[in-house]
Amino acid sequence: MSRAVSEVVSPSSNEGEPASWARRLVGNQQFMLFVVFVAIFAFFTFNDSVFASVSEIGNNITDFSTLVLLAVGETFVIATGGIDLSVGGTSGFAGVVGAIAMEHLAPHGEWVVLGVGTLVCLGVGIGIGLINAVLMHYARLVPFVATLVTMGAAEGMSLVLTGGAPVGSNFGAITLTEPKISVFSYPDIIIILITVVAGLYLHYSKFGRYTFAIGSNSFAVRAVGVNVRRHLTWVYVLSGALAGLTGMFIYMRLGSGAPSAGVGTELVAIAAVVIGGARLTGGSAQLSGTVLGAMILTIVSSGLIIMNVSPNFNQVAVAILIALAATFQALRKGSRADV
Amino acid sequence: MTTTPESTSPLTPQNGVSVSGDSGVASSALLSLRGITKSFGAVEALKHVDLDIPAGQVTALIGDNGAGKSTLIKAIAGIYAPTSGEIYWEGRKVSMHTPRDAEDLGIATVYQDLALCDNLDIVQNMYLGHEESRRLTLDEIKMELNTKRVLSELSVSTVRSVRQLVGSLSGGQRQAIAVARAVMHESKLVIMDEPTAALGVSQTAQVLDLIKRLASRGIAVLVISHNLVDVFEVADRIAVMYLGTLVSSGPVANYDTASAVEIITTGGFQSDVAATVK
Ligand SMILES: Nc1ncnc2c1ncn2[C@@H]1O[C@H](COP(=O)(O)OP(=O)(O)OP(=O)(O)O)[C@@H](O)[C@H]1O
Ligand SMILES: [Mg+2]
Repeated sequence: MSRAVSEVVSPSSNEGEPASWARRLVGNQQFMLFVVFVAIFAFFTFNDSVFASVSEIGNNITDFSTLVLLAVGETFVIATGGIDLSVGGTSGFAGVVGAIAMEHLAPHGEWVVLGVGTLVCLGVGIGIGLINAVLMHYARLVPFVATLVTMGAAEGMSLVLTGGAPVGSNFGAITLTEPKISVFSYPDIIIILITVVAGLYLHYSKFGRYTFAIGSNSFAVRAVGVNVRRHLTWVYVLSGALAGLTGMFIYMRLGSGAPSAGVGTELVAIAAVVIGGARLTGGSAQLSGTVLGAMILTIVSSGLIIMNVSPNFNQVAVAILIALAATFQALRKGSRADV
Repeated sequence: MTTTPESTSPLTPQNGVSVSGDSGVASSALLSLRGITKSFGAVEALKHVDLDIPAGQVTALIGDNGAGKSTLIKAIAGIYAPTSGEIYWEGRKVSMHTPRDAEDLGIATVYQDLALCDNLDIVQNMYLGHEESRRLTLDEIKMELNTKRVLSELSVSTVRSVRQLVGSLSGGQRQAIAVARAVMHESKLVIMDEPTAALGVSQTAQVLDLIKRLASRGIAVLVISHNLVDVFEVADRIAVMYLGTLVSSGPVANYDTASAVEIITTGGFQSDVAATVK
C-alpha cells in the first residue's frame, strides 16, 4: 500500500539538471522518507515479528486512515503559509453531531443512516472551515488564532452535546471498517482514493498552483488578479471537509460518536506535513511527503505499543521525529530544488 | 513651447496636464487620468492628478519620497480605488475595483520586490494568473515553450533554465522575468515601480534596454525612478509629483537634470532656473 500511494501521488521531480541516479535518489526527500519508513518497519518487525502480521498491518492501515485526511487538508493549508489547528476538534465534533443525527435516522436502514451521516459530518466540517475563513477575512484574525478559536469551540461543543460520554451506538458500522479487500476496508480505499486525487489536485491543477503561490507571495498573486480571499476560503473549507469525513470514519471505527476522539490529532497531522518536507512559512509542500510522514507516524505509535512502551512516550517519539525532520530540512536547504 | 515644461502651481493642478505643447496626446492617450484623488483617512496622498500616458512611449514618473508615486500606480493597477476622479482607457471611461479589472484591460504592474513568487519557477511565475490548461491539468509543455520563446524574443539570455526557482535569480533577472511576463500576456501598459533600484551597473543597463524594447513594440510604459540618469536615458516623457500633486509633465526634451531636480524638490520652477532652461 505504501508503494501504491507514494507512486501515484509523487509529483514529477524530473525538472532540473540531469544528475546521476544515486545522487538524485539521495536528494529526493520522498525517497529518503521511504527509506526511513522501511527502516522503522524492519526495526519493529525484528523486535517482534507480530508487527508484520496481516492483522497488525490491517490495524496500522486503519490508524493511517484516521490521520491521513487531516494531514492532506493541513498540507493545503500549510502550503498557503497558514495553519489549521481546528482539524482535530472538527473531526470529533463532526463525529458527535453525525452520531446524534444517525441515531434519529436509525429506523431508515443502514445505508440511509450512513449516507446521511456522512453528509452531516461533511457539512459540519465545511461549516467550521467557513467560520475559520470568516474569522480570518472579516475579524482579521491570523490563521493560528482563528483556528485556535474554532478548535476550542468544537471541542467544547462536543462535550456540551454529549455530556462527555459517547453517543449514538451503532456497532453495525464497526464491521464496515474491517478488512474486505486484502488488508483494506472499504472506507480505507475511499480515503486512499481521496488522498490520491488531492495530491494530483495540489500538484497539477491551477488551484494547487495558486495554493503554493499564495504561500510564496500573496501580494503577487493578488496583483495578477487572483481572488486570494476566495482561494483561502476554499482551502480552509477543504481542510474542514476532510476533517468532517475523518469524523465519520472515527465514528464507524468506534461504533459511536466519541466527544474527545479528535483531541490532539491536529498536532500529529501537522507533524506528518512537516516530516513530509513542507515549509511552515508556506510555498513549499509535497503531498507524497505528507503521506509518507503519516505512514511513519502511524507505525511508530503502533510499534511502541507492541514493544510495550508506555503510550505516554508516543508524544515524545512524535517530537523527536519532528526535530529530526526539521534538522534534515535545514541541512539540505542550501541545495534544494523542491516545490 | 518645446523648451518650457508645462508647469503649474500646486494650487491649480487641473491645468497641469492638458498640455498645449502636445495637445494631440490627450485625445490619443492610451490611459488618461482626470482629477484622481486618494485619501488615507486624513492623509491626502493624491490630489486631483491629471495625467496622459501615450502608447509606444516611456513615461517616467518622478518625485521625492512620499510624493505619491506608488499610490498613483496602485490606483491605476486596481489595488486602491481612487477616492474621486476618472480613469479613461483608450478614450472610454473605466473603473477598476480589483487588480483583475486592470489586468483584463491590459495593464501589467511590476512591483519592486513584490512581483514574483520565490518558491515557484520561472514558467510558473510567467503564467501566474493566466495558466494554460489542457483538460483538467495544466499544460506545462505549452507554458514552458512560450516562456522560452518570449525570453529569447526579449533577448533575456542570462537565465540557465526556465525551471529554475525565481528565488535563485539575481535582481536584474527577476526584473526581466517580471517584464517578460507582461509582454507575454500582451499587456498594453506596463507599470514598473523602481525597476532598477537594487541593481548594479550592467543589470541596470539590461533592464533599461528591455524597457526601450517594450516601447518600440508599441507598449506604453510607466516607470517610477529616483535615478535621473536612468530617467533621461530611457524616458520619452516625464511627469513630476510633489506632495500628492502632479506638478509638471511633458516630453523629456523640455527638461534637463537641473530643472527636474528643481521641480522635484520645490514643486515648481523658480524663475532663474526656468531662465537657464531656456
Ligand atoms: N496605505 C497607506 N495608508 C496611509 N498612508 C499611506 C498609505 N500608502 C501611502 N500613504 C501615504 O501617502 C503618501 C504617498 O506615499 P507613496 O508611497 O505613494 O510615495 P512614493 O512617491 O511612492 O514615495 P517613495 O519614493 O518613497 O516610494 C505618503 O505620505 C504615505 O505615507
Ligand atoms: Mg514608492
